[in-house]
Amino acid sequence: MIQELIEIVGRENFTDQLEELVPYSYDASMNVHRPDAAVWPESTEQVSAIVKFANEHHIAVVPRGAGTSLSGGVVPIRGGIIIDLSKMNRILEISIEDRFARVQAGVVCDGLNRELGKSGFIFPPDPASSSVATIGGNVATNAGGIKGAKYGTTRDYVLGLEVVLPTGEVMRTGSYTMKCVSGYDLARLFIGAEGTLGVITEVTLKINPVPRHAMTAVATYARLEDAGKAISQTMTSGILPSVMEIMDKVTLKSIRENTDIDLPEAEAMILAETDGFTWEEVEAQMEVILAILGKNGPVEIKTARDEKDRLNLWRARKSAYATLARVSSSFTLDDVTVPISRIPELLVGIQEISKKYDIVVATFGHAGDGNLHPQILFDEYDADQVERMKKVEEEIFRLAIGLKGTLSGEHGIGLSKAAYMTLEHDPVEMALMRLIKKTLDPNNIMNPGKRALD
Amino acid sequence: MSTQLQFDEKKRKAIAQCSRCGFCRAVCPIFDLTKRPMTNARGKMILLKEVMEGKLPLTEAIAQAFLRCTTCMNCTTNCPSGVDPQEMVKAMRKDMVGAGFDNLFKAMGETVEKTGNIYGETERQDWGHQKGIAPVVLFLGCVGTYREEESIGETLQLLDILKVDFTLIDEVCCSGVLDDVGYTMKGDLARRNIQEIRKTGAKTLITTCPYCYRVFKDHPSYKDLGLEIKHITQFLKDFDFEVKTDKKVTYHDPCDLGRHAGIYEEPREIIRKIAPNFVEPRRTRENAMCCGAGGGFRGAFAKESVKIARNRLSQIIDETGAEILLTECPSCLHNFKNAKRQKQKIEIYNLTEFLARLYRERERPSTKEAA
Repeated sequence: MIQELIEIVGRENFTDQLEELVPYSYDASMNVHRPDAAVWPESTEQVSAIVKFANEHHIAVVPRGAGTSLSGGVVPIRGGIIIDLSKMNRILEISIEDRFARVQAGVVCDGLNRELGKSGFIFPPDPASSSVATIGGNVATNAGGIKGAKYGTTRDYVLGLEVVLPTGEVMRTGSYTMKCVSGYDLARLFIGAEGTLGVITEVTLKINPVPRHAMTAVATYARLEDAGKAISQTMTSGILPSVMEIMDKVTLKSIRENTDIDLPEAEAMILAETDGFTWEEVEAQMEVILAILGKNGPVEIKTARDEKDRLNLWRARKSAYATLARVSSSFTLDDVTVPISRIPELLVGIQEISKKYDIVVATFGHAGDGNLHPQILFDEYDADQVERMKKVEEEIFRLAIGLKGTLSGEHGIGLSKAAYMTLEHDPVEMALMRLIKKTLDPNNIMNPGKRALD
Repeated sequence: MSTQLQFDEKKRKAIAQCSRCGFCRAVCPIFDLTKRPMTNARGKMILLKEVMEGKLPLTEAIAQAFLRCTTCMNCTTNCPSGVDPQEMVKAMRKDMVGAGFDNLFKAMGETVEKTGNIYGETERQDWGHQKGIAPVVLFLGCVGTYREEESIGETLQLLDILKVDFTLIDEVCCSGVLDDVGYTMKGDLARRNIQEIRKTGAKTLITTCPYCYRVFKDHPSYKDLGLEIKHITQFLKDFDFEVKTDKKVTYHDPCDLGRHAGIYEEPREIIRKIAPNFVEPRRTRENAMCCGAGGGFRGAFAKESVKIARNRLSQIIDETGAEILLTECPSCLHNFKNAKRQKQKIEIYNLTEFLARLYRERERPSTKEAA
């Protein structure tokens, strides 16, 4: 294997040294398994040759971007070859007049947006990891972010893909046009497939003009139900906020106690934002939201329109992850998603589960699109806590599914949620998913062991 | 010799604290160059986690991996989990030497001991400057003295122009860097420096090198020095300068001066007085990208170090369009000058050197040597 891979990518782009492979055994989840080798291809041709070789010899391959996955999606659970796409990081084409950008899979989100920003355009999905996350990884997990309610997820921007299929063949699918119903929508099959069907090597993305203005409001509530009502009424008011975030009391308490951010004692905090191309547009939308936030009995409401004040209001929300990460050495960050109106039930339910197992769960997330992030805090070196953490996680999944929700809004299934796939998907659907996997990848070389597909 | 490492409570906590989010990839200058996960902070924390858990034997390759860090501290300022990986890197370098994995800096320690400088040079310039009694003593450091003599000469001229009553000393290496590369600072050298500094009767010690500044300010070996310690940008910030440039000027924050010492404003205060056309690079202040020279990295991996300087320099040129790049660190200066390609027209100076050149230019308006 060693000689063949070196012939394809060159000695400088291959490693089987243990010390280099160990960091590839992890992502940001608790899963771990070592690969047997790693390569840094520099072209689609090289990826194709690697996959063809792996397929002929039935060796597992795991495509990897920045490895920020929170689900074990890039952990090589059956060993094999890591295909690290970090060196395929060229922006191939930006066509503002045709509204698209064509990039290699290893391009980093923020880097692309810096280039697009020069022309006043943006690729809107903004995962928290956008400073490092790659476009290929975004597509493979259908990454979302804070502005999902108004701007959708990665899926809504993919016009076309270049994919190396498990046979090593290179497929180009999709178009450079804003509309396209020519043939099956094969790109959609690979978006969110977590590298189980092929290696995404190139992506053509639809881009948007950047709204020029934004206004932010923060409201705190002494009762969770009131916050829930405020969210629900906002989302049915005819106004689509660009941001509608919520933080629960455990998150707020942790921020209050561990930072210098001044927060009232409250059950929930909502952060809402409106954006647009004129101030009139932004303010008119915000007036409607403020009226709704106000009539549901808030403890306090603050608003901001200039950049500095807005950042100040964002501080609590932006510090949530980091504060919780500092409070506890180990944590699991999930991404259950429910229909928007069920958010208060999900929040209350999570708190009850947390109490039942005596494990701290802090929840925050994107209320505007129903996607919450319960961050389960525990000590990975305490076997009893690990056991209880797993039970908490399972009950949260069951709760979300019971509320007509889904296991994963934006992180993917990977390894962490594979065991729960059948909670959400019936046998007919599971069988079709497995059939698709088997048809495209009969030797099961593409990121095997994930999503309960084999 | 033992090939085991001891992990005290503090280290265990730091290792567990890393949430492996990978955000350090965005700022690590070595990762930026190599794209290899072992080279950034997350990769190193993962290696330590496995060594600590007994899943991975401590090997020469791991010891080598820990040398690949410029200790620029950008991962620390960017870490959402509050880990300080560069502090860990420095501690582990020592532990690994202790476990029997000596590195190439062992020889540097011997050289420093023998010759009083990191390069083993036997002759040093004095720029025709006096040594004796003065209220201010100026400490130059190894890199400036032996690798950036011309720049240091200009800095000395500036102090003369500004009528600062200062003296040089028969200095030897502050030797603080040895503590960062696995070994221990040389107490004898520190004592010699302290003795020489005291002989001058000075009340203030100023350094041009931000690393020496930190050693004098923070290292226990110098704690009884008993005089005010200032980086030269702190010392000069309240001076009035009678020179100006119309050229487009930008500034690179040295890691040792910025993230490590928190000195961001003073150099900018000086620049604003003399350069109305001042632009900040995109990555600046707490998020300034490293030039690639620090933490022993240039000594151990010279080629990669210059490549990093090349990347940083291109970034600054592309994003600012500046004609003049200023910094105030002999190591950054030296690395940038080595990295600069002929077709790149940007001029690179230490701030104090640039000031001296402006003064000279004012006196000889016909030459076009400087701004």
